[in-house]
Amino acid sequence: MNKILKLTLVLFLVCAIAAGALGVVNELTYRRIDAQQQAKTVEAFSAVMKADGYEEVGFDSAAFPTVNSVNHATNDAGYVVTSTFSGAQGNITLAVGVDNDYKCTGISVIEHSETSGLGANAASTGEVGVKFRAQFVGEDENIALSKSGGSIDALTGATITSRAITGAVAESIRVVKSLG
Amino acid sequence: MNIKKQFKEGLITNNPVLVQQIGMCATMAITTTLFNGIGMGLSVLIILTCCNVVISAIRKIIPDEIRLAIFVVVIATFVTIVDLLLQAFVPALSEALGVFIPLIVVNCIIIGRAEAFCQKMPIGPSFFDGVFQGLGYTCVLIIMCVVRELLGAGRFGGGLIDVANGFRLTLDGTGGGIQIFPETYGASILSLPFGGFLTLGCLMAVMQYALKKSAKKKEAAEKAAAEIEKEVEE
Repeated sequence: MNKILKLTLVLFLVCAIAAGALGVVNELTYRRIDAQQQAKTVEAFSAVMKADGYEEVGFDSAAFPTVNSVNHATNDAGYVVTSTFSGAQGNITLAVGVDNDYKCTGISVIEHSETSGLGANAASTGEVGVKFRAQFVGEDENIALSKSGGSIDALTGATITSRAITGAVAESIRVVKSLG
Repeated sequence: MNIKKQFKEGLITNNPVLVQQIGMCATMAITTTLFNGIGMGLSVLIILTCCNVVISAIRKIIPDEIRLAIFVVVIATFVTIVDLLLQAFVPALSEALGVFIPLIVVNCIIIGRAEAFCQKMPIGPSFFDGVFQGLGYTCVLIIMCVVRELLGAGRFGGGLIDVANGFRLTLDGTGGGIQIFPETYGASILSLPFGGFLTLGCLMAVMQYALKKSAKKKEAAEKAAAEIEKEVEE
């Protein structure tokens, strides 16, 4: 009985110290991490649709479960839709610009955990990523990968990621259409 | 245990990846650009060194029955700390390495060294063990990154070196690297996980060959020395 108590106590102490240390580090870093997340979202929004501000509008969240928010650009250029859906490795959060003719004006990956060097290229600032994302500009809701008869070339070695993003873009355009 | 011997063990004769064959998953997954390789290598080095020191310091008060649980708590703590720091200060790296930073918790290099080395050794040697094993790991990652990036994408130093706007080092991972030959001529299969297996296999073969050769040489030298001794005696 004493032995069990001792084991529990030691493990508890170690865990308590570890938790304390983590609390301190979290306290030191969370503001920076939040600020970066915020800056990234703003950057992503302005990358897909230029506007001075964005106003969140309501939508039918039951019909569009992957969509997080629909934001109306204050200069009436269109909408920015953010959605979270599953990629090849984990969830991808994507911002899609949709203009008043229901055409995509650009996409930007806000968060992802795709394979480095493959699916992660969808978000990369390198040539491959820029080229991949540029393909979506001007597409409508019937967008598809070229191997499914559409016009979007998938990223090398990342068909699942490419397909997921293409699907999310179509979904984003549909949610804007549903607003009427 | 002297430092020189530990250095040699960590980098060559007991290299974590090529000889002990642990920590392979991340090794194959992230070695696609030099930026990733160095970032991952240094992260492991730091975490490994911290864990080694702490585990060695508390080795006498850890009851044997729950040592693994305590190792995991210590390792997870340091991994989370490094993960948070990377997210806050080097977001590009944290994004590039993605899930592989949190996965260092289950990287067998760290728990392997804790179990095999630190729980029996004082703090000093444990510290150096962490540094040298970490260096050995980093070296392997760098070699793999260079090979796979060059043959797979015709590039050197992706993420780390920027040549588009004058030659400079980029620490935020935005550099395009030096294009040695056009990317389309690269064997892109080497950038895929399959290429990771292939590169690692070849590296291991080279390593085993070199180790065997040097062992044979040593044996031959000993034999020769023994013979000379014999002759002298006669």
